[in-house]
Amino acid sequence: MYNLLLDYKKTTSKFSEINWLLVVLIFGLGLVGVAMIYAATGGDWLSGARQHFYRMIFATFFMLFIAIIDLRLWYTISYPFYLVVLVLLISVDLMGVTVNGSKRWVDLQIVNYQLARIQPSEIMKLAIVLALSRFYHDLPRWRVSSIYGLLGAFLIIFVPMFFILRQPDLGTTLLVAATGLSIIFLAGINWRLLASFLIFSIISIPLFFIFGLQTYQRERILTFLDPTHDPSGASYHIIQSKIALGSGGFNGKGFMSGTQRQLEYVPENRTDFIFTVIGEEFGFVGSLSAIATYMVIIGICVWLSVQCKQVYSKLLILGFTITFALYVFINLAMIMGLAPVVGVPLPLISYGGTVLLTVMTGFGLILSAYINRDSKLPSSKFKN
Amino acid sequence: MGDSDRHNLVSINRRAALLGSLGAGVFGVLSSRLYYLQILKAEDYRALSDDNRFNFNMTIPSRGRILDRYGNDLAINSQNFSLVLIPERVKDIEATLLKLKQVLSLSTSNITRIKKNINKHASFVPVLIKENLDWGTFSRLNFKTPDFPGVIPQVGLGRSYPNDGLFSHTIGYVGSPSARDLLSDKDPLLKQPSFKIGKTGIESSADKLLRGSSGKLKVEVNASGRIVREFPDGNDAPKNGQDIWLTLDSELQKKAAELFGNDSGGIVVMDVLTGEIRTMLSMPTFNGNLFVSGITQKQMDELNNDERRPQYNKVLAGGYPPASTFKMVVMLAALEGGIINTKDKIICRQKVNLGNRTFHCWKRGGHGPVNMRDALKNSCDVYFYELSQKVGIENIASMGRKLGFGEKFNIGLNGLKSGIMPDPKWKKLKLGANWQLGDTLNASIGQGFVLSTPLQMAVMVARLANGKASLTPNLIIGQNLSKFKSLDIDPSHIAFVQKSMLAVCEEPGGTAYKKYGLELGKLQIAGKTGTGQVRGISEQERRSKLRKDEDLPWKLRDHNLFVGYAPFKNPRFAVSCLVEHGGTGSKRAIEISRSILKTALLRDGISAGKEIKSSIATNV
Repeated sequence: MYNLLLDYKKTTSKFSEINWLLVVLIFGLGLVGVAMIYAATGGDWLSGARQHFYRMIFATFFMLFIAIIDLRLWYTISYPFYLVVLVLLISVDLMGVTVNGSKRWVDLQIVNYQLARIQPSEIMKLAIVLALSRFYHDLPRWRVSSIYGLLGAFLIIFVPMFFILRQPDLGTTLLVAATGLSIIFLAGINWRLLASFLIFSIISIPLFFIFGLQTYQRERILTFLDPTHDPSGASYHIIQSKIALGSGGFNGKGFMSGTQRQLEYVPENRTDFIFTVIGEEFGFVGSLSAIATYMVIIGICVWLSVQCKQVYSKLLILGFTITFALYVFINLAMIMGLAPVVGVPLPLISYGGTVLLTVMTGFGLILSAYINRDSKLPSSKFKN
Repeated sequence: MGDSDRHNLVSINRRAALLGSLGAGVFGVLSSRLYYLQILKAEDYRALSDDNRFNFNMTIPSRGRILDRYGNDLAINSQNFSLVLIPERVKDIEATLLKLKQVLSLSTSNITRIKKNINKHASFVPVLIKENLDWGTFSRLNFKTPDFPGVIPQVGLGRSYPNDGLFSHTIGYVGSPSARDLLSDKDPLLKQPSFKIGKTGIESSADKLLRGSSGKLKVEVNASGRIVREFPDGNDAPKNGQDIWLTLDSELQKKAAELFGNDSGGIVVMDVLTGEIRTMLSMPTFNGNLFVSGITQKQMDELNNDERRPQYNKVLAGGYPPASTFKMVVMLAALEGGIINTKDKIICRQKVNLGNRTFHCWKRGGHGPVNMRDALKNSCDVYFYELSQKVGIENIASMGRKLGFGEKFNIGLNGLKSGIMPDPKWKKLKLGANWQLGDTLNASIGQGFVLSTPLQMAVMVARLANGKASLTPNLIIGQNLSKFKSLDIDPSHIAFVQKSMLAVCEEPGGTAYKKYGLELGKLQIAGKTGTGQVRGISEQERRSKLRKDEDLPWKLRDHNLFVGYAPFKNPRFAVSCLVEHGGTGSKRAIEISRSILKTALLRDGISAGKEIKSSIATNV
């Protein structure tokens, strides 16, 4: 009923509605990622760069495909989608696959045939935005700060958060919490309520630090606070990544000429620490340009949300934009030694399929929300 | 669309703008952080990055060679075949070692050491499995290495001593630095794996020269310490060790060893003009290579249990009574003191009584009346017993020192013994007893307290042959050179002693007589025999006439001694030869000495009828 994919006329008109500047910038950063992975692997096309390139092309088409799907479809499946992902998330807890000490993956299989190994916490980042947008779209504004409104939002955010933290995956947990809180804020929650919640959080952080964290997570935060206390241990990453950035200077050492990168001083420089390669090889000029591009992308998204006339599409766009922005902020802050090492990749540039797919799906939904900015969604008034 | 809705949308926009500006603020913070890191602190971080990147690795100098006077190799750096293992390239170390055991012998202690080293270093650092492999094993391993991934045959430089150990006592050998070496020598080279330092001989005494000094190589290392690149330009190249040239003649040394055969003892051949040592051999020798490659307990036991003591340097560290070779000293002391006329005769009745002690001459029935010349020629003991009483120990000791007894020579080697040139002061100091006249009598025939090394005996005879210069021995070419002092002995007295020594070798009846003994036509040899008593001779044995040295166990037989020089006219080489337990009569020592002098002269271009002109100036 909503899917008008087969309708040629509507499809072409939808393509013309796509914000192509956004698409070009996204794809451009993806290509920067290809080049940086190529450099990070010492000029090896086959150990990541090629795959990132193919993934980027696939993900871009996937994003465009999602963009032209009618927003009403997403609106309708918001809750069911959320519930399915939540079930998957819980199944991770029950029968997940442990990799590197955390249980983040679950094998989808029919009898004994493995279909895919997926990371439900990644999909949850999308599902939570969809569910919250739908929740606030359906909720009259006056109930946002009521018990019903608070409890609903709380359940939508904190149930998955609980299971993600149990994996344990501190980075994603914080990302989900921050995204959720931002949407609650955007939905118009009472200032005083939010302020008291934040004050409560600040008080409970020390308690959380002591009881809620794994030893390695505590260690990471401690080394962040005092990076010199263990130079070859956990803070080694931060120090070496700062050296890589700083030694790049204004112009950088030149493409494929980063010594920190070549000599493998910065670990994970194909994934989480890829920005060090940009910083080292292209200097202040290159890294500032990259940051600026991210900022332009975020700015375009905010501007797209302003033009939407539905609560659902506005919150959806802003929700994904916040997720994306948080990825970028946390990753950059971590690399520059402003935040602890939490294992968050730099979206679009870092090597890694899951995050890329999440982010591109998010952009697809953003574009879709924008294209359908005028379409009628069931109004919240029916429910009151 | 109702008002409430519109209000809602506007509120979202407003709050979105708020979050947006918050985001812009974060970008501002991130940008200024970038500015701080990449612009303000760029220099600091660039320095840190270079610190990361570059390392200075030590490059190891190659050890100087040790050569003989003609440039023949005595100690060289030769290819050393070894097998190493790179842990990170080996899948199953246990299994690999087990399989390797089938190809080469690996003891349990070897395996323990290998495993310890594997755990000690980063996984890309090669660990030595075995070194000093023979060519056969090495080529077999080369053939089989494809079966052992991560096991690599290597060719390096190791110390090696050709010449079958002929020079082991002199040049010594190298070995890994001990804990004590590491404490006393702070040269960082010593900490390099498989670096060897001199342990004995020239290798030890000239170690600093031979070792050279380390160089620096700028290398780029990656995070795990692996060398990625080398920068050979602008580095300090290692200063290779200096070659050391010895005065020894390896052909002559070989000849000497041949002459000795299985006998134990030592021989020194010295140039009487320059003091250069042409041959210095302690027999039997041992193979220094064993100590470099790691000697087995069995080999060590073999060396230690040999009663001929192969490791002991008899020539420099042995203390032997010079016996009758000391008689020249007494003669010269008497002549210089003007105590006796050479024509004066003393009657030898085979023994001299002194208080309740009796001193015997070796010849049964005695020599009858003998003058000084015949006393030396026949080696009459009684003559010297009587003479020494007139000369006195002080004069004898002073002449002994003049001729090199009791002196420790600096030839660039450690471990030289000074021997003992006794006098009353020495006895009081060392033994707390007064000098007895009997001690003088014993000393007069080079027995009793007198102890000397074969080198000292060689120096004595070289000084006598030279006659003018107080020669000192010299072993390393270009080192320890000093102008010789004047010998300061009346030339006519020297000439008399020389002629007496000639009589010993060239006149019928002389203790070392053999017609044309030198086998070089008219060239003559002068010298003196000696028989070092190893044990006292009992009165009963003397009477029973049963004592025959050859019948005694080897350990109890007398030492054979001969000192001499040739040619008699215009002397060239001096020799001192000791054959341990060679038996009475010094036959072996004389044979060896004659033959070695002949070879030395021939090698120096001196043959029959072509006597050298003394165009070669002495060093005085």
